[in-house]
Amino acid sequence: MTWLLGRVASAIITYLMATTLIFFLMRLTPGDPLSRLSEDRPMPAEARQHLLELYGTDLPLTVQYRRFLRAAFAGSLGGSIAQGGRPVTTLIAERIPATLLLGTTALALNFIFGIWLGVWQARRHGTPADQWASVLSLTAYATPAFWLGLALIWLFGVELRLLPTGFMHDPLLPMNAGPWERTGDLVRHLILPAATLSLATIGATARYQRAAMIDALELGCVRTARVKGLPEGAVLWRHAWRNALGPMLALFGLWLPLLVAGSVFVESIFSWPGLGTLAWEGIGTRDYPVIMGVALLVSAAVVGGSLMADLLHRWLDPRLRTA
Amino acid sequence: MIPHRVLLAALLGLASGAPGSPLLAQEARDPATLAIAYPRNPGSAVPTLWGADIANREVSDLMFLRLADLGPELRTVGDKGFVPRLARKWERRDPLTLVFELDPRARWQDGTPVTAADVVFGFERARNPRYTPRVATVLTRVRSFAAEGDRRVVVKFAEKYSEQMYDATYHALPLPAHLLAAIPPESLSSSAFVSNPVGNGPYRWVRRVPDQLVELAADTGFFLGKPQVRRILFLNAAAAEARANLILSGTADASDNIYSFPNPARLEKLPAYQYYPVPTLELIYISFNFRDPADTSRPHPILTDQAVRHALVLATDRVTISRATYGPFVRSPGAPVSPILGRALDVPPTPPYDTLAAIRLLESRGWIDHDGDGVRDKDGKPLQLRINVPSQANSRVVMATRLQEAYRSLGIELQLDVIDGSVWTARRQAGQFDLDFAGGSQDPAPSGLTQSWSCAGIGGANMSHYCDPKVDTLIARAVRADNGAVVWRDALRQIADDYPAILMAALTNTYVVNRRFQNVTLRPGSPWANVWQWKVATP
Amino acid sequence: MSAAPEGWRVVWDNPGGRAGIVILALLLAIAILAPPFLPNPRAMPDLGRTSLQSPGPGHWLGTDRDNRDVLSRVVGGARVSLAVAVGAVALSVSVGALVGMLAGYSGGWVDTVLMRLVDSALAVPRLFLLLIMVAIMERIPLPVLILVLGATGWFGTSRLVRAEVLRLRALDFVHAAEALGASRRHIAFRHLLPNVAGPLAAATTLAVGDVILLEAGLSFLGLGVQPPTPSWGGMILEAQPYLATAPWTSLAPGIAVVLTVLAVNLVGEAMHRAYTSERL
Repeated sequence: MTWLLGRVASAIITYLMATTLIFFLMRLTPGDPLSRLSEDRPMPAEARQHLLELYGTDLPLTVQYRRFLRAAFAGSLGGSIAQGGRPVTTLIAERIPATLLLGTTALALNFIFGIWLGVWQARRHGTPADQWASVLSLTAYATPAFWLGLALIWLFGVELRLLPTGFMHDPLLPMNAGPWERTGDLVRHLILPAATLSLATIGATARYQRAAMIDALELGCVRTARVKGLPEGAVLWRHAWRNALGPMLALFGLWLPLLVAGSVFVESIFSWPGLGTLAWEGIGTRDYPVIMGVALLVSAAVVGGSLMADLLHRWLDPRLRTA
Repeated sequence: MIPHRVLLAALLGLASGAPGSPLLAQEARDPATLAIAYPRNPGSAVPTLWGADIANREVSDLMFLRLADLGPELRTVGDKGFVPRLARKWERRDPLTLVFELDPRARWQDGTPVTAADVVFGFERARNPRYTPRVATVLTRVRSFAAEGDRRVVVKFAEKYSEQMYDATYHALPLPAHLLAAIPPESLSSSAFVSNPVGNGPYRWVRRVPDQLVELAADTGFFLGKPQVRRILFLNAAAAEARANLILSGTADASDNIYSFPNPARLEKLPAYQYYPVPTLELIYISFNFRDPADTSRPHPILTDQAVRHALVLATDRVTISRATYGPFVRSPGAPVSPILGRALDVPPTPPYDTLAAIRLLESRGWIDHDGDGVRDKDGKPLQLRINVPSQANSRVVMATRLQEAYRSLGIELQLDVIDGSVWTARRQAGQFDLDFAGGSQDPAPSGLTQSWSCAGIGGANMSHYCDPKVDTLIARAVRADNGAVVWRDALRQIADDYPAILMAALTNTYVVNRRFQNVTLRPGSPWANVWQWKVATP
Repeated sequence: MSAAPEGWRVVWDNPGGRAGIVILALLLAIAILAPPFLPNPRAMPDLGRTSLQSPGPGHWLGTDRDNRDVLSRVVGGARVSLAVAVGAVALSVSVGALVGMLAGYSGGWVDTVLMRLVDSALAVPRLFLLLIMVAIMERIPLPVLILVLGATGWFGTSRLVRAEVLRLRALDFVHAAEALGASRRHIAFRHLLPNVAGPLAAATTLAVGDVILLEAGLSFLGLGVQPPTPSWGGMILEAQPYLATAPWTSLAPGIAVVLTVLAVNLVGEAMHRAYTSERL
């Protein structure tokens, strides 16, 4: 289909534009990686020269950009300046599984409970139950994620000592622990960070779903379905909800990048070894190779998420195909 | 549709692990395991690959030994007071030569004995400025390391000076030549040796889970004594809150300075833990810029007046503010000297906190509130100063806010510029500040004072352009006199009288260790290096 | 379909909407009128000797870690937080709605170009933009901060509005209006806009909470307001380590934020209801 080809082509162009923009913006921000390495002691000239040769941070921007592109196409993202040259690809590969795990869990919880709550509220639109649910979900949304996380850690980790206060695995787990024990351990460590991340955003999903569902329930075709005597479940999910999908798909496209970007605050208070903290440290130390590496990944997720949302929307709603 | 209840039950069942096992593995923990709540992520424990990272050095100190360690006094001067490690004894052949005899029992963890060739190899690798610039600059006065047979190392120096022993033993560590000679220096960081280093110290490397932990296990055959602490876990938790929670939940047995956490009060008086104050080489101070930040070729319009600087120092309640932030063991010194350095030197007394004297000084120089707006002024210009604080240094931000309020009541307007760390460094190096809230780690040797507090240091670590030729002469004399304490006293007194900075705190860290560990000593600069000598009380 | 009714009347008639407006007005009034009656928010009496006092006479919401009165700081923080919330959100929601409508209704290459621009913008971290601004101006004054927060916050809203417009465009009433010869502008503002009231109301409510907390995160990096100016988000951040020992330091500003978000929500809800019932 021509539409699909066009869409993919524009996605690729956007990706290139975004990454180039980040590349140049990054080098325009004040502060440079090498001065940080010599914060309180002056660096000997020879050492500085060596580092400049290695990372090329004093070359003109266009030259640096060409070098970066050439290396990227050859599969290398350079070495981290702050971490003594460790390959960026290794650094990212080390952390991606953790981020994906947490992101996927949180996103799944978010959409499952958010959609359910939104629909539930829309059905009881205007009743006290709906209003209280709004208050609760908005309070959760307006609470900063780190506050929520710390409160949960304090309650379950310090006071009640039911759950671990952080990390992905128990460091004291014996080497010969079986797969069941390992999975159980992982789940135990995943509960609080995933709960924090999803609680913070469920409010948003529910809000949009509720608004869209309220509108959808008023549609003519829904009333027709009811009049026809169809069971409530079918009316709700098969007829009304299909019309309330739009915002959910858009939200999905917007939040997909979180899967790879990770959340800095949540990752740091739970010591979750994800990409969020890597990116954060990279920005703080102006570690250009690391920033670009993560940026490439996140931009791909943003562009890809938008593409997927458009695709899904078109597939689910035939009316859009004529547009 | 699976009922919600069933799903929840399944999840909980999975979360509690196999039936019968404790809820948390910690409960079944071996008391001889030490779990440390650690702020950094050690990447490589191999000497010459530490980079600027303290974490790498601290882990390395448990795996790789030096010829001799600094004694508990941390004296870097002379040949005495060092503790034998790889070297059993040493003697001086002439003023430019030291000879070390290696301990025949010393072994690499793969069984191979440690030989003189390893010591020479380690030195040669460390002195290469391309790969280890920091170490190379310090080793410029060491001419050579040579092996005489298997067990003897001869070190020759380029000139006579009092810190020869320190230079020979502290900076360059022996490396296993039989494993590394074939690997060129530039490939070392990506070699397999980094992920499985072989050392000669009390602990051997077990594993590293990136950004989660580093695990070490005791080397039962360690020639200086089998460690009682069988396992060490460095749990990497970069966020201060995460480390605090590790201690509060009992997951971690030890932690670094509790006063580096916000709200340290919740970590004081924990019954299961013991508290250990350890002096450090760190100094927190506010430097005065002697140059105009708008045009660094001109002198500063307000701060070049020594009376104003003196007044600002008098107006700052250094002791209260720094103790509220860093804990009760902190000192506010009279000269820029850290607690460790201060043990060897005669430090001038701390200037008092005297707001009345400060006001008198300011008024005597013409700083009076002529227009009644609450801020003193002179010749139409207000007494307005801006202080740069790095946003990541939370304790300094808190102190600066308190300082701002304290100065306000004295008619001094202090504006806070809390800025991102990289931007802070850039502005600092460019001299774009009135006051700069800095913190630094000093050398254990007093000669390090030249870097920040002498005219010679301008263009290097002396960012404030503080330059007093008298100080330079006195420092030069003290260095020539083999770092005699008496001669340093004059230099420090002169620096103190110049008031080049508000010396907020000379830090003493308070470490916390679970009570079941005894005979605990924490080495300043590398606190966990003595863990192999700790004892474990069996319940 | 009738035209949109006169705005605020509708909200006022709705009890929920009325409550929301009253709450917001009250917050504003307190922020402007209360400070002379409260202790100085900057003062740190007895520095070093006491701090974190629990709520009681003299300090009705207690004191924080520097022994500053929490109530006066919450009131003081209202200035910054409300200004940021109202200003930045108004900007971002309006721009987002306009762009979303334009993209959704026009379709074709306009849609493609706009949405791809939004994609690029979403990919760039806000942090870089702000760091560059710091390089250009030494400190970021409040109006500029509001402008930047608003200008970088509309991307998501545009996508959501566009999704809604795509759905509406296919409905009969739009076809009918087009057949009757109504101009595209008329259709967009008189017919489409009221019907995206649902997602717009939701977006506004959520954006308020977002922006207040974002400002706090920026202060943390030194890009927001500088000490001693209080802001609700900044107070919540500072109070983080005292969660268990002095909960009032984070609860007080936290409740202020939640109240604001709930009030805005009530107003948004009222508007949504008004336009939906009008549509029938």
